[in-house]
Amino acid sequence: MSLFTRTNRELSIRIDEFFDTIEIGVLIFKEGIKAYVNGDDSAFQNHLAKIDDLEGKADKLQRSIENDMIVHSILPQQRSELIKLLWQLDEIIDTSKQSLNEFYIEMPHIPSSMSHEFISLAEVSGNAAEELIPAARAFFREPHLVREKLIKVYFFERETDKAAFQMKKKVFHELNDLSLAEKAHIRYITHHIESISDSAQAAADMLASMAIRQML
Amino acid sequence: MIFLFLTSGLFLGWTLGANDAANVFGSAVGSRMVSFTRAAVTASVFVILGAVLQGSGAAGTLGRLGSVNAMGGAFTVALAAGLTVYAMTRAGLPVSTTQAIVGAIIGWNFFTGNAVDTGALTQIVTTWVTGPVLGALFAFGLYHLVKISRRRIKVHLLKYENWLRMGLMVVGAFGAYSLGANNIANVMGVFVPSIPLESADFGIFTLTGAQQLFFLGAVAISAGVLTYSRKVMETVGSNLLELSSEAAFVVVLSQALVLFIFSSSALSGFMVRIGLPPIPLVPVSSTQVVVGSVLGIGLYKGIRNVNLKLLGSIASGWITTPVAAGILSFLLLFFVRNLFGIDVGHAVSPLSAGGAGANTSTIIRYSIPVLLLITAVYLVYLVLSEKKKTERLNKKYYE
Repeated sequence: MSLFTRTNRELSIRIDEFFDTIEIGVLIFKEGIKAYVNGDDSAFQNHLAKIDDLEGKADKLQRSIENDMIVHSILPQQRSELIKLLWQLDEIIDTSKQSLNEFYIEMPHIPSSMSHEFISLAEVSGNAAEELIPAARAFFREPHLVREKLIKVYFFERETDKAAFQMKKKVFHELNDLSLAEKAHIRYITHHIESISDSAQAAADMLASMAIRQML
Repeated sequence: MIFLFLTSGLFLGWTLGANDAANVFGSAVGSRMVSFTRAAVTASVFVILGAVLQGSGAAGTLGRLGSVNAMGGAFTVALAAGLTVYAMTRAGLPVSTTQAIVGAIIGWNFFTGNAVDTGALTQIVTTWVTGPVLGALFAFGLYHLVKISRRRIKVHLLKYENWLRMGLMVVGAFGAYSLGANNIANVMGVFVPSIPLESADFGIFTLTGAQQLFFLGAVAISAGVLTYSRKVMETVGSNLLELSSEAAFVVVLSQALVLFIFSSSALSGFMVRIGLPPIPLVPVSSTQVVVGSVLGIGLYKGIRNVNLKLLGSIASGWITTPVAAGILSFLLLFFVRNLFGIDVGHAVSPLSAGGAGANTSTIIRYSIPVLLLITAVYLVYLVLSEKKKTERLNKKYYE
């Protein structure tokens, strides 16, 4: 039993560490987009390197948590769902890193009239992911609070959709001086930023059903 | 020769261990919260302790129902019960060792011309009803308590799971002890009057003749647990009771409490001392108590979760099992006496009937209406709260 106690304590620390990593990753993503749009290249490079490290760390943590849960038969009944949840959370930092890498590789041209919209989109999409983390933490301690914490995730996801829709509309309807290739590129980048909040929503859906089952 | 006659009882014990250990540790092992080896060893040790230390109470009541006064008779009665359990299990019908042995004893009473002690019979049949009902009530209350505590203490899920793991071992041990204490009467109860063994002094403790028989029966139960219960625990245990770890914990605790209540002489004596009617010490079906407990949790989660088929299977078992065992016992006794010329017993009290009438009627007068009232109140409460609960669960996260 003491082995279980020790393993469980270590595991709960690693789960918290995993959540911290995702949370910081999302913050770095937001700062990275801000740096790119503002043309601060050194800050952008710095954020890119940081998110790369954090993504690697999250992957390692995710694998070790999964491994320990299976090897020590921890939470046998919720294990498969928890592993899926961790995978979905990892997807958030993966998408964030991928987004910043796309900015680095493809160097999209952001018209100055859209700078504010891009920063806002990254902000609101990142907020959806950020708000997911307290809900995920609550699942482990106070599952009855998960539902109310998820309200913000759904709110920011909807706001992201709205913002992305407005941006795409503006690009194709108002910015006639841009070429079709540039418009398509901006649409693609917008869609990528938007997908962070979609991943957060998918994780929120899983978390909600898991929390309900915990409460029954 | 004694061992030859005891084989049917030992076989009955083995089947009980193989099947009923799953009621205690099935959900824990099936969900991999507890390893089979740990569960089997714990169950074996505590079944023996329960049988030897506390098995005499329930056995006494079975003895009053029919004191089988020949080894041949005891052998045949146990064999009839064992075969009934085996045949009904094979046929996929709900069956209980407790009800089979009661039916087989009544068959012996009819065959030998002994009157059935209606007082003892009523006492036994009453507990068949009250056992699952009590299990449901305990499970409902305990599950509510567990849920409230979980919400209040705000413990990490992993730590909570650790507590549950340890809790399952502790209540599993208690469940195994209660199973041994209560159900040993089914296995060895019929042999006690016909095999009067002398007390054995081991220096630091003494085992009476009945306790020696109980020890043998408990060893057979343990053998059943160790040799054949793995498959039952891993398959039937998890399939029959698809419960969360905390629900499994509550079910095992409820079952252990019910079995303990119906086998504890000390508790019964305490009731008498405080001016209440004594608790009947009667073997009850652990499976039916478990089903009752699962229904209790179903009631807590919402009345729509109650599977009426399970209730039907319990009720049908009250009639089909004893009748089948009684008929088989009568037929086997006929063949054993007339074909092999073995003494299967004789009439002792052909005309007298109803020994424990006073106690039994008091029990019935108090316990049945109280239980029915509590159940009715629970049902009304649940029906009223159902709508509210459904609304809460269906509430959307956002508009």
